[in-house]
Amino acid sequence: MSKYPHIFSPGFIGSLVAKNRVKYAATETNFPFADGYVSDREVAYMEAQALGGAGIVTTQGAYPDPKGEGKGFKGMMAIYNDRFIPGLARIASVIKQHGALSCLQILHCGREGGVDLDYSLMASVVPQKLSYFKTPKEITHEEIQASIKEHTDAARRARDAGFDMIEISGIVGYLISTFISRYTNKRSDGYGGNIRSRCRLMMEIIQGIKAKVGNAMPVGIRLCGLELLDDRGGNTLEESLESFKLAEEAGADYVSVTIGWHESSTSVITRDVPMGHWLYVSKEVKKIVKIPVMMAFRQFLPHIPEKALADDVIDFWEACRPMIADPELPRKASEGREDEIIPCIACNVCFSRLYYHQPIMCSVRPTVGHEGEPEWGYYGFQKTTNPKKIVIIGGGPAGLQCAAVAARKGHQVSLFEKDPGLGGSINLASQIDEGAVELLRPVKTLQKECQNAGVIIQTDVCMTEEQLGSLDYDVLVIATGALTRKFSFDFPGSIYTPGDIIAHKKKPPITSAIIGGNGVGLGVAVFLLRSGDYNLTIIEESGKLGRDVNPFYLWQYVRLLKERGVKIFVRTALKSISANALQLDIRGNNTNIEVDGVIMALQDSHRSWDSFARKHGKEIYYIGDAKQPRRLNNAIHDGYRLGMVIS
Amino acid sequence: MIPIVDRKICVGCGKCVEVCPPQALALIDNSAYLREELCEECGFCAPECSVNAIVIYFPLSKDRS
Repeated sequence: MSKYPHIFSPGFIGSLVAKNRVKYAATETNFPFADGYVSDREVAYMEAQALGGAGIVTTQGAYPDPKGEGKGFKGMMAIYNDRFIPGLARIASVIKQHGALSCLQILHCGREGGVDLDYSLMASVVPQKLSYFKTPKEITHEEIQASIKEHTDAARRARDAGFDMIEISGIVGYLISTFISRYTNKRSDGYGGNIRSRCRLMMEIIQGIKAKVGNAMPVGIRLCGLELLDDRGGNTLEESLESFKLAEEAGADYVSVTIGWHESSTSVITRDVPMGHWLYVSKEVKKIVKIPVMMAFRQFLPHIPEKALADDVIDFWEACRPMIADPELPRKASEGREDEIIPCIACNVCFSRLYYHQPIMCSVRPTVGHEGEPEWGYYGFQKTTNPKKIVIIGGGPAGLQCAAVAARKGHQVSLFEKDPGLGGSINLASQIDEGAVELLRPVKTLQKECQNAGVIIQTDVCMTEEQLGSLDYDVLVIATGALTRKFSFDFPGSIYTPGDIIAHKKKPPITSAIIGGNGVGLGVAVFLLRSGDYNLTIIEESGKLGRDVNPFYLWQYVRLLKERGVKIFVRTALKSISANALQLDIRGNNTNIEVDGVIMALQDSHRSWDSFARKHGKEIYYIGDAKQPRRLNNAIHDGYRLGMVIS
Repeated sequence: MIPIVDRKICVGCGKCVEVCPPQALALIDNSAYLREELCEECGFCAPECSVNAIVIYFPLSKDRS
């Protein structure tokens, strides 16, 4: 019997039955073409989602209008004309072929739309808080009527393409949500006013679609349960809850509860938000509607939705990011293979790709978007006909990922790690802030994958040239991580590395300077500020603090630094040191600061094995921070790509 | 998609270099140079360029062949 009897029991939506309670929720990918057509890449990605075992698989949102006012992403799928039906039908077909219910989402991005235009459309003109969105324009009464028709025509196309169900999205700043929210709806034409009037567009779209596609086809809607816009006059929780009730009244067959707008100044989906935190909102929605209630939002581990289903807090478990990271999540959970689930770490690199007009990628699953390319091995690798002996030095994410892939391809892989445990610098990163411990999850999964693939792992081995010289192998992979740069000044105070502080728990003096303001420097600063009171100064040569930190986390870190009075100097070079005074060149102006300690947060690559490899005639590769100090996603991708190409 | 840097248009302001997470961009001879093997295709660089020297082409369906 499954550990998750509630997740893996059938679920009912309108007249349909889903084989289980998992719904792959709508996720933009930027895999379709810029003109809205479905690509082979999108179809292959969606097929992987369907094969993973979810009961319902939802497409990415498709924009319903020919002008592209609803288009929020360069590679967003379109549904504004019958000519898109054949491509959409390919997606419906692969979903249904693998036993899932197929759901098409219609999405007019509203305030976040008009990606190819110079404006965006919304209920009333309220200036954008986020610079990458377009200048807002108020939608006219006539345009509202046209938009309702565009939504209903889109639904008819979805039905014609063979989809089982339809979903409408009215969240985060998208068109429908700009009407529902008090923050963005100042209208006086019957589509604004009290919550019922603000929900009128939403209700007319649901009614229009139901009338068009018939009652047999379920129609659901995603609505915001909690806008988190109190600082800007957004809806109260009561008003938001009312919107769900009104959706049900308009004929919705299910609702999906979401949290926050993209403009909310609160953490919603980052690691600092405990898993399952937002379920209290769906619990409120469950009390007031009779139709099925669904929710995603930080339910990464299956026991969380299992409990929520058992407690009648949700009826379906929606997953976006966890299933980008592993489409096989439902199957692995049902088979008791939780330790093989590639875990989403909420790094949100997928999200930031979308807003910079790039296809999504995933830190922990390099095969995202390559499911249809056999050489990427999503469905398994073809065994090599030329098995090699590979030695990998370094058991961080790069080394482990390379080992796993190379071994799955049939190579004989030995991996050596100098520390007693695996993970490399992730062991430091996982201690930085609340929730960072989740960063250790992919290390555990990679370790398991290595074990399954037959990699021989030895820890506590600090590899020497002598020992390496005695081993029999063909290929040498260096994944030893970065070197902390030597502090080249004569400084009378103490000098620390990030490892000294985070791994060895050394306490630097209260008044210390951090040299280098990228992710490593910021990480040390955040770690220290969370452990006590410090008077820190960060010195960064470039003009950008946290260049390599995802925007979802950077704003939180910068806010903490500012709250705690950290002095931040960008475009600043350390020129010289005289006693305890650091002499800084700030864009041509000289300043002295006195500190008792210096923390060196600059790193360099670690290419020290070249001459050894040359001498012994070995093929040598560098990956991860040893190649160039970067982030976790680079380490894992380096490892994966090298593992793929060693032949 | 890998950005395409037109070094003839580039004025060497270095803004793209500063925002590049993997440090795949560098100023060489006063214009931006991309080390493609380090590029992680994040797209951060293109919007920083005030002279449109960095282009990231998003394919159309007709490009599929």
